[in-house]
Amino acid sequence: MGYVIQTNHLVKQFGQEKAVDNISLAIPEGEVYGFLGPNGAGKTTTIRMLLGLMTSTSGSIHIFNQDLNKERIDILKHVGSLVENPSYYPHLTAEENLEVFRKVYGVPKSRIREVLGVVRLSDVAGKKVKAFSLGMKQRLGIAIALLHQPKLLILDEPTNGLDPSGIIEIRHLIKRLPDEFGMTVLISSHLLSEIDQIATSVGIISEGKMIFQDSIENLREHAQQNVVLRVSDSIAASQALLVRGVDAKNQDGRVYLHENSDDHVSQAIRMLVQDGYAVYRAEEEKRSLEDIFLAMTKGHAS
Amino acid sequence: MIGQLLRSDFLKIRRKGFWLLTVIGPLGVVFMQTVNYGVRKDYLLKQSDDNWSYYLSNVNMFTPLALVLGIVILTSLMASVENETNAWKQLIALPVSKMTVYLSKFTVLAALLLVASLLLMLFTLGYGYYLDLGTDIPYIDVVKFSFYPYIAALPVLAIHLWIALVSKNQGVPVTTGVIGVILTYMSYNLPDWLIWKWPALMNGWVEPLTIVWLGIGFGVLLYLAGMLDFVRRDVT
Repeated sequence: MGYVIQTNHLVKQFGQEKAVDNISLAIPEGEVYGFLGPNGAGKTTTIRMLLGLMTSTSGSIHIFNQDLNKERIDILKHVGSLVENPSYYPHLTAEENLEVFRKVYGVPKSRIREVLGVVRLSDVAGKKVKAFSLGMKQRLGIAIALLHQPKLLILDEPTNGLDPSGIIEIRHLIKRLPDEFGMTVLISSHLLSEIDQIATSVGIISEGKMIFQDSIENLREHAQQNVVLRVSDSIAASQALLVRGVDAKNQDGRVYLHENSDDHVSQAIRMLVQDGYAVYRAEEEKRSLEDIFLAMTKGHAS
Repeated sequence: MIGQLLRSDFLKIRRKGFWLLTVIGPLGVVFMQTVNYGVRKDYLLKQSDDNWSYYLSNVNMFTPLALVLGIVILTSLMASVENETNAWKQLIALPVSKMTVYLSKFTVLAALLLVASLLLMLFTLGYGYYLDLGTDIPYIDVVKFSFYPYIAALPVLAIHLWIALVSKNQGVPVTTGVIGVILTYMSYNLPDWLIWKWPALMNGWVEPLTIVWLGIGFGVLLYLAGMLDFVRRDVT
């Protein structure tokens, strides 16, 4: 499996400040790659460089194994994009907006009907876009990005400003793309929960630097899980467990078990019950991805 | 590639008043003379033996101003079409070179102004017939008075288009536009090297035809300079 996007020590400097500092992206074919980072981390700047909207200060970008500096036009024929807020011409209808881009891509007129169907805007094809809701405009933006059947789709914060139903709809749409159309998708977001639900691999960027890049499963493995027990006397109970060789810790009046396999947990509870402690609650404390993300970005900042 | 972009750009300018302006400009210029001749036709006809030439020079008094005003409005309208929702980021991410994008914008406006000049010629002739200025119609002069100012105004188009397309703050093209129109309005008192004076075709040092060649030469130069600067810039 090849890489669709590869950047090599990419740097973008604005004056003294490095907005993007030494980023080496590697996005495998057929993946939904979640590009994560807090606002102002350099996601949009990176994406603008990938689309040739900005020139890099140093480093190289290869898309489809072609050098972006040399073969920009060739590459862009197979790239669809939606960067931040959707761009459209409000005085034109949805159909005319697509026609503006269709003329340049030189794809058949039938594609307009098709993409309008994909984003469910067929009913309002003849309406001026200025009357659209934000969700409809966003969907039109995705339709524009899909118009020429790109092999790579780059979406920058596509769910920004949408209501929950709009977010779910866009999410379903994005999930379908790799399988149905054989696309590779790069999607950026500052919301980890968003990426968690659609991405298959993840890159995390903070203050212009890449701090994590791997599959989503590996990111989840960082989410170390504890089992928490609420018992009658947590100090004594945790000591009783320690004495019997169970890795337990007393914290905030609760007992934390580090080993969280079913066997270990049931064994520990049996021990406590036999020793006469009352067990009120046994629950799994999942360290959310948010926590990992915060820990990573904080660790980086300090 | 440029053909596809041009068709796309002509579609974008629909319903934005571009075409309306293209018709109103020359109509306004000739309308000034319908007022002028409507009020004091007898007096005006006495001013000269050659009624057609005198009429043409009257029409031409307002042509440069209308032309520069049109350029200023059209260039900032053109920029506003893309600036409104920052469609630049979508446009530049298309598989076309940035140079072609710029060329297409320039060509659309040059074409609109050419249509306006053509209309000016037709309106001038039409009202001239109506005034019954004589059978000896100086067709060559009518063509010259209609198209020379247009060609002489190409440098002005190039510079205002560049300012409009690269300015983040639309106050800049508005300000320079107002200055450009004022310069054209008082061009009689201005030094000859100022490009805003050229559409008036009155010039102490050269023939009108030379101004036309200068217009083409400097038009191309300023166009190239603007395009190279546009290509160099990042899209934000």
